[in-house]
Amino acid sequence: MHELGIANSVLDAVLAETRRHLGALPVKVAVRVGEFAGVNPEALAFGFEILTSKTEWERLRLEVERTSGDELELAYLELEEP
Amino acid sequence: MNRVNLEQKVLSENDRIAAELRQRFVKNDILCLNLISSPGAGKTSLLERTLEGFAAESRGGPHVAVLTGDIQTDNDAARLARFGFPVRQITTGGTCHLDARMITHALEGWRLEDFDLLFIENVGNLVCPACYDLGEAAKIVVLSTAEGEDKPLKYPSIFFKSALLVLNKIDLLPHVPFDLPAARANARRVHPEMEIVEVSCATSEGLNAWRQWIEQQRKELSARMIAGIA
Repeated sequence: MHELGIANSVLDAVLAETRRHLGALPVKVAVRVGEFAGVNPEALAFGFEILTSKTEWERLRLEVERTSGDELELAYLELEEP
Repeated sequence: MNRVNLEQKVLSENDRIAAELRQRFVKNDILCLNLISSPGAGKTSLLERTLEGFAAESRGGPHVAVLTGDIQTDNDAARLARFGFPVRQITTGGTCHLDARMITHALEGWRLEDFDLLFIENVGNLVCPACYDLGEAAKIVVLSTAEGEDKPLKYPSIFFKSALLVLNKIDLLPHVPFDLPAARANARRVHPEMEIVEVSCATSEGLNAWRQWIEQQRKELSARMIAGIA
């Protein structure tokens, strides 16, 4: 149920980084979700889809890497630059 | 295509506010404990018995404050305010957990230097509260014998992140199929170092062990503060 808020936090970080690259379009963001993070990857993906569909970031893909600890971290962002 | 390494926490904004809170708690020598459980496991009852005990000590007991979170109603704050300690209700209006910003707002106007101990009673939920650091010294998970002994396996995140498991309602053990040794084993399978106290808020059994655990945490906090490593 909290995954929508977490998806929003991911997008905040994507926005902050994208602004540093003039004219760039974010196409993929990778997140590491530990098995003890308390985050359901499917619910996170669903929240992410709701927040990005029909926006200029519709093509932005979320990649979730499962890890063994309790981390909930942003790994990298791929940008298409003009 | 340009790949940029981000290497940051997803909840960095919450974590930043939580770090500020933790610094304020440590500076004021306040032990902050974040209580988490499913609805009905007995967080409020545990706090009632705890506050009752502290109130009976009158002078010499710790100065306690409580923040209690629920989706709706201020029923819990009314229950807890009877013991004479400052209590504030945080009504989340639908949000399934407390976050650090809510704690910062709820503390506004309180003089933190007046307190020794702050309890945060989270929204009844074993899932979402596990993700949000509130600046606490420790998370505590409460599990009751009216639930299944496999809860630690079903909700591993909160058992992994909690320093203490309070097994509540042990007075019901003769009447419920709860397997106590299995519950302990399941908790330690997820979190081998987890400390466990077994209590009944109805009969007061085991509450001394809970109080001793709190006192031990307060001593360790003060020792860390004196050593300047907190």
